[in-house]
Amino acid sequence: MWLVVLRRLGLGVITLWVVSVLVFVGTEILPGDVAEAILGQSATPEAVAAIRDQLHLDRPALVRYVGWLTNLLRGDLGMSLAANMEISEMISGRLKNTLVLAGLTAALAVPLALGMGLAAAMFPGGRVDRLVTVSTLFLLSVPEFFIAATLVLIFAVHLQWLPAITYSTEYESIGQMARSLALPILTLTTSVVAHMARMTRAAIINVMTSPYIEMAILKGVPRGRIVLRHALLNAIGPVVNVVALNLAYLVSGVVIVETVFAYPGLAKLMVDAVTRRDMPLVQACAMIFCSAYILFILVADVLAILANPRLRHPK
Amino acid sequence: MSENKKIARDLERTRDVTSLKALYQCAAISRRAFVSRLAALGISASVAGVIVAGAPVAVAASPKRGGRIRAAAGGHGPDDTLDPARFNSVINFGRGEQFYNGLTRIDGSLVAQPDLAESWEPDSNATEWVFRLRKGVEFHSGKSLHAEDALYSIQRHLDKDVGSGAKAFVENVAEGIVEDKHTVRFKLKGPDADFPVILGTYQMKIVPAGTTDFSTAPGTGPFKLVEFKPGVRSIAHRNPNYWEEGRPYVDEIEWFGISDHLARMNALLAGDIAMMSGLDPKAIRQIDRSAGVRVVNTKAGQYTNFVMMTDRAPTDSNELRLAIKHLQNRERILKLIHKGNGMPGNDQPISPVDPMYCDEIPIRPFDPEKAKHHLKKAGMDGSTIKIHTSEVAGTGAIEQALMLQREAGKIGLNVKVQRDPGDGYWSATWGKKPFFMSGWNMRPTTNIMLTLAFTSDAPWNEARWKNARFDELLTLGRASLDPVQRKNIYCEAQTLIHDTGGVAIPCFIDYLDAMSDKVKGFLPVPLGPLGASQWPRSVWLEG
Repeated sequence: MWLVVLRRLGLGVITLWVVSVLVFVGTEILPGDVAEAILGQSATPEAVAAIRDQLHLDRPALVRYVGWLTNLLRGDLGMSLAANMEISEMISGRLKNTLVLAGLTAALAVPLALGMGLAAAMFPGGRVDRLVTVSTLFLLSVPEFFIAATLVLIFAVHLQWLPAITYSTEYESIGQMARSLALPILTLTTSVVAHMARMTRAAIINVMTSPYIEMAILKGVPRGRIVLRHALLNAIGPVVNVVALNLAYLVSGVVIVETVFAYPGLAKLMVDAVTRRDMPLVQACAMIFCSAYILFILVADVLAILANPRLRHPK
Repeated sequence: MSENKKIARDLERTRDVTSLKALYQCAAISRRAFVSRLAALGISASVAGVIVAGAPVAVAASPKRGGRIRAAAGGHGPDDTLDPARFNSVINFGRGEQFYNGLTRIDGSLVAQPDLAESWEPDSNATEWVFRLRKGVEFHSGKSLHAEDALYSIQRHLDKDVGSGAKAFVENVAEGIVEDKHTVRFKLKGPDADFPVILGTYQMKIVPAGTTDFSTAPGTGPFKLVEFKPGVRSIAHRNPNYWEEGRPYVDEIEWFGISDHLARMNALLAGDIAMMSGLDPKAIRQIDRSAGVRVVNTKAGQYTNFVMMTDRAPTDSNELRLAIKHLQNRERILKLIHKGNGMPGNDQPISPVDPMYCDEIPIRPFDPEKAKHHLKKAGMDGSTIKIHTSEVAGTGAIEQALMLQREAGKIGLNVKVQRDPGDGYWSATWGKKPFFMSGWNMRPTTNIMLTLAFTSDAPWNEARWKNARFDELLTLGRASLDPVQRKNIYCEAQTLIHDTGGVAIPCFIDYLDAMSDKVKGFLPVPLGPLGASQWPRSVWLEG
């Protein structure tokens, strides 16, 4: 078992390295560089040259990449080219914000999705099932920014119950934190719940067609007990995978919500860094997102193995 | 209703202060109606009086103290900085005006007013300027302002390691001499009658001599830095020791950026912020319809233009360029694309808000017949040309290109519009393709604008237009201290660009901002959004 985990971690590190090379190449290919991006309209050729000199951008790409990699292995994320600040300082605040938002959303969305999926799978074709299927389909089809804009229009502009933006993460009280984060969490929940609920429903319905379930029904076991005690654990595999993918998305992909609500998170930081060709910052963010994916999927796979005795003790 | 009454009624509803002023001056509306309409636009009665008088005089209003303003600029990024030499966007300019002062300040009529310098004078040929500093001014740290601080702050822009975006402005300074504790003399390499205006630009803020660490925003400004998180926000508290008597009025400013314009507008409507810059013209009706907020529209000289490079085919033919210029339906572009928020342009970069605007040049009319005639003379009847555009080129850049395509098609010129990606537009398209869209903010002086973009060897001469007489005129203009002579010189310069230049400028675009009705004392300055960011020292909250 531990061998499996170790091997996966090893592969994860290799994946991280490959991603770093790809990100570096991708950003290098883009026209323009950080000197032009910082100076904007005041970018005269000599001002650009001066900044390039200062930031050592005249060194060849390979040299810069190896320099960055060596620093990373020593634990030094480097300096942001555009902001002239330690990257670790810039990221730590944003990472905390992103994790808080992702954590709270997950705490709401995962139980909700599992519950909906279970309720739907209990009586396939029944009223609850149809309600869940239609609503999740609707939520999947509507774009996130539309949901965000509608929620803001109703709750912030018309009713004025909740703020339209959450630019500050210094909360004075739990109540204020709840008010500030309510709309972003609601928006994100609507995007991730649908996917997880549908997968849960599909996985459980699939397991319910097995012979041992038919045996349990014939024995007279009540429906609820069948689903929760007998079917659920065997359906864990796909469910836990989809939850892991959605959690990783919550950490790395929520650019739209961060933009609409002006939330100082990591995804928007990376997008801004790409626009400014701030290579070290882009790399640092890419490493964090990649690690998040690898970690979550690893945990998902381990849970799937633990839940299935046949995989736990391979013959 | 009589024709005159109808016109007066329609114009009364306008948000255009210039039109209102014109109405009042030709007695089409009463003074009472004029002042009340201005009040509805958020301009106080005393400022209305100033507009009527036409003089840029200090306003005696009745401001209230206290309160907290939360304001948002149109976006920020990880390159937020507190170093004046690196200021290049509204989010930074706003901080500049909160924490720092310059030697001079540029007012709403583009005239240099005393800021940290009480007075100044040139020698007879404008190559030496002496500035006398105010006495008793202290930096936030308590240190007194002396002439060495002024000298250091200006000269640091020349230092390569500082990487200042404003280096070009200061290159003309050959030497700076501290004459005594409160007097500094600048000796220029070449004459410059506009030198005091240059010292009022965004980057020319005064910091203590020797400063290299700007993390505390060490300035003399109306507010002190309390918190700064780059890319997130800054918080400023009132400077109780500020040298300008009675100012500032509000106690605290929280300033940050919201890049998405919809989110910015929603924040204003929801009451989360009190002021915002960069209102999308499509949102004007929404703001007008909502209670408690208003649109602030400042006539300005920014523009989105067509660039036809004069050193490469096919745009090297002046006949083709004249054809394109005659295909500009200026009124229509202003009305449809810019929703009426602007002034018609005349294919040269100096706008009516600039004191050196030449109104003698008749505005080129929309004339497809003449365009076809020029097109034939260029031998390009029936040919195809490609124009490159992008939304980052300027406001309405894509729409203006499409409109040209339509008009050109009617006279037999096939214009292909290629939309280039915004990322990297300025490195890959600008100044490289023969025909493309570009956009410009106005500069504080006519000389700067023309020198920056139209002299033969200027790096930003996007059309590579070279004209020896034009360069000569600019040299003369810089040296002259006589306003009438300067007006004539610049008039000829504008005529040259209008006739043979490589740019077609259909209109000038207003700055559109929005704010809560509780914010009073806002003064429009055409140099940039939110009154060229000069609002921190003049606004107060009421109601």
